Formats: sequence, C-alpha cells, structure tokens
Amino acid sequence: MADASDKVTITLDGRQVEATAGELLIAAAEKAGTYIPHFCWHPRMKPVGMCRMCLVEVETPRGKMLTTSCTMPVADGMVVDTASAVVEKAHEGILEFLLINHPLDCPVCDKGGECPLQDQTLGYGPGESRFVEEKRHHEKPISISDLVYLDRERCILCARCTRFSEEISGDPLIEFVERGNHVEVNTFPDEPFVSYFSGNTVQICPVGALTAKPYRFRARPWDLEAVESVSLVDSVHSKVSVESSQNEIVRISGVDNDPTNQGWLSDKDRFIYEHIHSPRRLTVPLIREGDTFREASWGEAVGLVAERLGAVPGTAVAGIGGARATNEDAYAFSKFMRSIVVTPHLDAQLDDGLDPEFAAAVHPRARIDDLERAATILLWGPDLKEEFPVLYLRVRRAAAHLGARLVVVHPRVTGLDLVATHTVRYRPGEGPATLKKLAAGDGDLAAVRAALNEGPVVALVGRPGLAEDPRLAEAVAAFARDLPEATIMPLVRRGNVFGALDMGLAPTLLPGRVSVTDTAARTALEDEWGALPEGVGGGATEILTGLVSGDREVLVLFGADPMRDHPDPTLVRSALEAAGFVAAFDLFLTDSSRLADVVLPVAAFGEVAGTVTNLEGRVQKVNQIVPPPGQARAAWSILDDIATAMGGSLGATGAERLNKEIARVAPAYRGVTWDMLDWGDGREGIVVPLRGADQPLRHIPVDTGVPTVTERPAVHSARVLYDDGAMLRNCPGLAGLAPRAAIHMHPRDASILAVRDGDRVLVSAGASVELPVVIDAGLAEGAVYVPFNLVETAALGAPRSIRIDVVREDAS
Amino acid sequence: MSWFADMLGPWRGFAVTFRQMFRPKVTTQYPEEKRVKPQRFHGRHVLNRYPDGMEKCIGCELCAGICPARCIYVRGADNPPDAPVSPGERFGFVYEINMLRCIFCGMCVEACPTEAITMTHLFEMSVTDRDDAIYTKDELLVEPDGTPRHPQPAGPLIDLEELKLGNGWLRATASSGRAAFEGLVAWTPSATFGAEPPERGQTDADVDDGNEGA
Repeated sequence: MADASDKVTITLDGRQVEATAGELLIAAAEKAGTYIPHFCWHPRMKPVGMCRMCLVEVETPRGKMLTTSCTMPVADGMVVDTASAVVEKAHEGILEFLLINHPLDCPVCDKGGECPLQDQTLGYGPGESRFVEEKRHHEKPISISDLVYLDRERCILCARCTRFSEEISGDPLIEFVERGNHVEVNTFPDEPFVSYFSGNTVQICPVGALTAKPYRFRARPWDLEAVESVSLVDSVHSKVSVESSQNEIVRISGVDNDPTNQGWLSDKDRFIYEHIHSPRRLTVPLIREGDTFREASWGEAVGLVAERLGAVPGTAVAGIGGARATNEDAYAFSKFMRSIVVTPHLDAQLDDGLDPEFAAAVHPRARIDDLERAATILLWGPDLKEEFPVLYLRVRRAAAHLGARLVVVHPRVTGLDLVATHTVRYRPGEGPATLKKLAAGDGDLAAVRAALNEGPVVALVGRPGLAEDPRLAEAVAAFARDLPEATIMPLVRRGNVFGALDMGLAPTLLPGRVSVTDTAARTALEDEWGALPEGVGGGATEILTGLVSGDREVLVLFGADPMRDHPDPTLVRSALEAAGFVAAFDLFLTDSSRLADVVLPVAAFGEVAGTVTNLEGRVQKVNQIVPPPGQARAAWSILDDIATAMGGSLGATGAERLNKEIARVAPAYRGVTWDMLDWGDGREGIVVPLRGADQPLRHIPVDTGVPTVTERPAVHSARVLYDDGAMLRNCPGLAGLAPRAAIHMHPRDASILAVRDGDRVLVSAGASVELPVVIDAGLAEGAVYVPFNLVETAALGAPRSIRIDVVREDAS
Repeated sequence: MSWFADMLGPWRGFAVTFRQMFRPKVTTQYPEEKRVKPQRFHGRHVLNRYPDGMEKCIGCELCAGICPARCIYVRGADNPPDAPVSPGERFGFVYEINMLRCIFCGMCVEACPTEAITMTHLFEMSVTDRDDAIYTKDELLVEPDGTPRHPQPAGPLIDLEELKLGNGWLRATASSGRAAFEGLVAWTPSATFGAEPPERGQTDADVDDGNEGA
C-alpha cells in the first residue's frame, strides 16, 4: 500500500494535484477529475501507447513536449497541459487519421451509440474529413469463433484485444498480421479464436471491430435498460450489468468490481442469458398424468403439493437443491422444510461438493483479494479454467504478473499449468498418499514443499474430480492451515451454493452458519420458527438411498437436476422412480423434473431480486429487470402458498421482507440489508459476518483420515465449462460449444490396451456408453479422464471405478 | 342620444359579420375541395426503396431513438447473403409506427441516415380499431416500383396520389446543411422519383424558400 511518502504533486492544467509516484499520468489525471481521451489504454492492462489519442503537453527542460499520458509515469513537480491548442490540434490530427479508413457503418454497427471512437470524434475531432479517397476494404464481418465476429475495416489497431488475450486470459489466439498499411488484427490460419474469455475483447473493443454473435443486431444501446447484478454461473459472482430491450435480456456486460471480477467475465457468464427467453421455459404448473404432464392452475398444483407433503410424517420428506436460488428463496425453502414440513433432510449440494460445515464456515477463510498479496498459492481442486473461469483469471494474474508462486495439484494438465511454479500430478484416489508425501516433502516433492514455506499462502481447495473423496479437500486444508499466514478458500462451483449452505440448506447447518447441534443458536431460532426437527438429517446421497429403500417417500427438488449433477445417475433414477411423490421447482423440464409428479415453474436470473453469497462469503445483490414468463413466479411466493395450504405460514410477503428476516435471524448475516448492498461501498458486496456480528460456527479443518484407493484404472471425472446442463442446453449460442465426449488415456495405458487415438471403447459403470479414445499425455499414468455431464457421458455420472472394453471393428 | 345607442347596440355586434361577408371566403368544401398543402407537409410516413428495388431501411433504430412520442418500433436483422433486402449487413425486419401516438414532428425523417423514411401529404388515417392505427412494414413500405401502399382504399377522403408527394430530397437540402454544397445533388434517388433537381435556396441572398405551395 502506498504511504504518504509515495505522494507527488503535479500541476495539471494549472491546478495542483496529488498523485501516487509511479502512477501513469492518464490514471492520475482521471482520478483528479480530468478526463484524457484514449482508445488503447485500459486500467487493467499494461500501457502500449498505440493509439496516440492521449497526447498531452508536458513541460521538459527543452520546453513543452507532446507525449502520450498512458506511458508517462507521474513525477514530482510535473507540469501538464491537457487542453492546450497544441493538444487540441493533435487530437484533431489523430482522429482524422483514425477515420481515414474507418467505415461510416455507425447506423448498422452494434457499437454505434456507445462507441468511444464516435464519442471522441464528436468531442475532440475536426468535424470534417479532408480525405475523399476510397477507404480500405476487407471482407465484412468474418467469423473468428463461435461467438465473435471480426470486422477488420473498423479496427483502429489499439491492441486491446491482443493484449487481453496475451496478458489477461493467456490464450493469445488473436494477433496483428501483415505490415505497414496492411496491418490487421486476425487469428492464426485454421485456428479460431477459441477462448473462454473472448467476450471480453468484444466489450473492451473501442470500435465495433469485434462484435458478439448472440447480440448481433438485437438492439441499439439507446433502447437498452440496464441493472447491476451478479453472474450466477459459478460461485465467484462476477459483477455484471444486465441489459434488456423490450422486456428481453439481450446482453450482459462485465462491471469492474475490484474484489471479484475486475471487469472480466467468462463467455459463459456473458452469454448464458439466452436460456432465460428460451421457448422451452416452463410457464405453467404441470401435473403428471400417466406418462405425460397436463397443464394445471396454480391453485390445483399448490393444493396437490400441500396435500401430498402433509400426508406423510415430516421426516419422510426430503429436499434437494437451492444452490441456484437467491438467499431469500433458499431461506424460504429452509424455513418451509424445517418449520412447516418439519424435516431435517435437506441438501443444497448433490454430493458433488464439499462437507457443508467446511465449505460454509472454514477458518481462516481466504478472500479472492488475498490473491493480490499472496506469496504462494496452493491450488488443490478443480481445473479453475473449466469450473471457475473468472477465479482462473485472478489466480493467473497473481502468478503471471504479481509474482506469486503457484503450486497446482491435479490429476490432469490444467489451464493454470503454464503459469504454475510447480505442478503435481497424481492418480485420482491416491490423493491422501500424495498429500502425505507433500506434507513430508519426500522425494520429488521436496522442492514443492519448500515453495510452500513462504507466506502469505492462499490455499484453494476443492474436489479435483467428482470421482474423488470429498473429504480429501478438508485434509488438504488441514495441511494448508499450518502453512505460514495461510488462508483457505473452499471451491464449490454451483451458482449460489454458499448462500444456500448459509441459509441452512444442509443436513448439518442452520441459517447463518450455525451447526444443528448448537443448542443455544437452535433455541434462538426456535423462538422465530417454532419447533425444529430433531437430529442431523441426511445428505443428498443418503436422501436418494432412503427413497429407494422406502425410508423417505416424498422429495422436493428445489431447482436441482440430480440426474445430471449427482455422480451416480443410476441411483438418482431409481430414487426418483421409487419416490411416492416428487415436486420439482424448475425452469425447464430437465431429466429430473421429467420424473416428477408436479413441476412448478419458477422465475429465473434477471426475473427476481435478492441477495447471493459467493465463495469468499461476499453478499451481493441480484436485481430484477424483466418479468418472468407466463405464470412462472418467484420461488418464495410459491413456498408461501404451499405453507398456507398446509395450515402454516412463512410470513413471506416479499423478497425484501425475507431479507430483513434473514438479517434478524441468521447470526452471520445479522444487519446485512438490501439498502446496504444497493448504495455506496456495499455495491462491491459485503463479506459476512459484519464486524460486530457473530458467526457461531468456525470450522477448523481436520484430516479425518481419507482412505487411499488404488483401483485401476483410476477415474478422473470433472466438469468442463460448456457441459450439457439445462441452462447451457437452452442457449443457442453456447449449446454447440460443448467439447466432443471422449475417454482420455495416458499414452502408456493406451498402448497396454492396444488402442489408438480415435478408437472406440465401451465404458461401463452403472451404465455403458461407447466413447472414442483420446491419447492425453497430460493425464496421470494409470488414470482415465471422462468429462462429466456431456450429452454422451451423462448416463455414466462420475463412477469411482469403470470397466473398459475395446470395441473391435469386424475384420470383414 | 342614448335611445339611438340603445337601438344600435344589438346590431353593433354584427359589424364583424357584415364586414366579413364581403371578404373572400377561406372555408373550403373539404373533402370535395382540398387545400394545397405546403411542400414539406408532415403527413403519413412511407418507407422508400432504391431504384433497384432494395429497401433503404437498414434497421438502425435511429428513428425510434429520436422519436419524442416513442411510437416507432424497429428491429434489425442480418441481411440474408444470397437475397439481401437492403444494401449492407443489416435490414429492418420489423418496422412499426403507432399513428395514434405519432405527433408528426418529422424527427424520424431528420434522423434517418439513408432517407428510408419520409413523410407524404396524406393525413386521412381514421380507423375504427386501435390495432389498425399501428402501421406495419407491409403498409409503410412502397412497392418495388415505388408505388406506395395504404391499408384503406381510395375514396372521397383518401387521395392515394398524396402518398406520392414528398420524398427524401425535401429533407436533404445539402450535406450538413452548409451553403457551400448548394446545387450539389446530395441525396439518394428513390424508386419512381429518380434524381430530382436540387432544392434551391441555401443562403440569405436567395429568398425563394422553395415552398411555393404555401
């Protein structure tokens, strides 16, 4: 942090202005309220001084000199003139040159109306061009990826996109080609701009050279309404601006929120909105009739659910889901299940996450911003690029630009390996042995162990693959806790899973980070809610086996699709079929809700307001901008109706009312209200608990002795960014991006099986699927990798052991 | 004197009436007889085409953006490459004007970068159903040969010939309105209209404002 001695004073247009030493002049001026026009400079990237628009006059010993303010660090006593006649003439000259070849496409250009080149030509331009010559011509938009069009005629060569892909995202697939007057931005031949972050280049392009395909010609900037919200694609909760036209969300842009996304988004964050207006959205309640559904009124559907939930003892009812809902909806579900139905069997995770107490209340807990100051980062968890793309950017920034040492432990090559100091590969199942070896610094891991000795250490721990034991993450955290100045960040991916856990949607938790066994907190909650169910409930897998064995009869799916997200789809199918009654709150008829008896249409992202909690415990607000389609409603209001029909009441008359109740009832959330999050510093989000508020449960991770499994082949099953989830499937722009399903094998294992790249094998666990083989040297030897939840692999789930039979073509 | 004034009193009020009786009448027998409208009369809109039949509208929504009554709804779409509707990448595939909201200010005509939307002299647009007052692209867009369409048949009130009066050139006086461009044809020809002679009168010296019909 800068202290007072770092301060320098400069003279800016005759004013005395204080700035930080070493800061760039353009940034210092902007902070002081003097805007310097620019195209190529971006506060999150290194300066290049390419566009020359930010020219200012600076006093030098040889008199006043024009210089680019984006490459000039401030110095004490510097005298700067940003609006002299010379600077104005320079602006006019630069803009006239930029416009020589820039086509007059503005009326049909997606950037027209919010284009920095348009604005600055109006503000600083010469008003008229003296050039009458024919402009440069290129083929109009060329498709450089499945999501981005490039119009080279419009490009002003500012290098923002090329710098972004090289500096920030680390996939430099877009570059300058040719020389002199022929310079253009383009991709490498036969190599499309396949990046998970390509949408950011569209957003930072100062002209309409890069445009997004899903937004192409959908609206003009002046008919957009915008509202700030956060992306619920993963639990990082990037700040976004949701923009709609004619009651339809047409665009999502990143907002620079310093503690979370720093302005960047993944393409999934950016283009996921398409599912909201999918024609396949549920708009009417559905009731099962034989093998099909019939449309029903809300009264009938609610009445039926209330009747069936009331007909069995409370403990025969279980609830799964809540991780896609807001905190308010999750709280309503938690209160409904625990105080109206009276059951402890609740789980927001689908056995694809971590121990709820560890995930919700680990201590000491890291913040994303700790990565900025970390000396060492230990990542033992999922491939961040696939599951937490924005967190990947933050870790990559720390490792590539801020000098942090990065240790990646994963069964397969990950997106971060390129910037990692040490990478450790291990066979899935042998994590505990690897951890023991790492902790002791044995053999080849001695250097890795030594690297971990410099603090502050940030440990990012999660499940590297879904076929692995979830307790491994806690064992890793228990090891990492003893590292110098260590903080721990548990990684669970799904939308608002941390908010759902904090609202008590876990068998061992009550709202506000309270253990169900905490008698004092329990009594306090009973004063508000009435009697709570006794004992600790069952988690997702226990609920499902209970349904099969008949211990549980009724299941409520609260925005969950266990057929696709639980590691064992065979168990899920038999559980849903064995259940006496299944009610599903859903956006679409998913594989799971298709097996339900009543399907209730709920409002989606952008259709409800509420709060959400990210993986560091930061509470932020999501806002409504469009109405839900048809008769779909906010989940809390449906729950309130069911509660009323069952003779109780949730006391929920609005989401904000529920928020106030949370702020009163949930200890860790005490005092966090919508007002605080809507205005001032709270817009960056508030990390709970607030100072002065109490968090009853502080979970110190302990190694519970995870058994090592040495089964061969060891299965690594992990999610990819574009999988076959219900939302992605209903996004026309993203649905085609899912990778081809395959079984990945280490070359040596493949040679033992005598298979070559592209050969087909029959993979059997609960189900059998035929998959092509991909030879993958980035995989630990003895392990196979099967992507989780792709169209072809969905039936397989994430089995702990599989059988591989080579399919031999008949030699006929 | 007062008895005379009292007698004249009731008749004094008719002085204006008697005086007007001997002046030329301004009442016209509408609709049999129609007044000549100013050349730049703001009547019903049309969407023009180029002489080759291409639509001029590119769906840029500038008209909708400028409209103070917010009565225009436009959506753009990609031009099909094999059968383009308009020159360039984009065309207006939805174009609607709610004539009940329209205040006929002509800002849309001013804003249009391609002279696609212009105003004609027809103002008789009474409808018996609110929905009929929303003019869609079918009704606004002229035929490929330039003949304007109208949802109602010609009649004593509706003179479809009035839809042929008024064109882009009435607006496009000169590039950026500067006198230096006087005499230069600076607008695009439309189907049926072709390139018209430039409008005269860009400087103070030239007092003929071109509105000879007023």
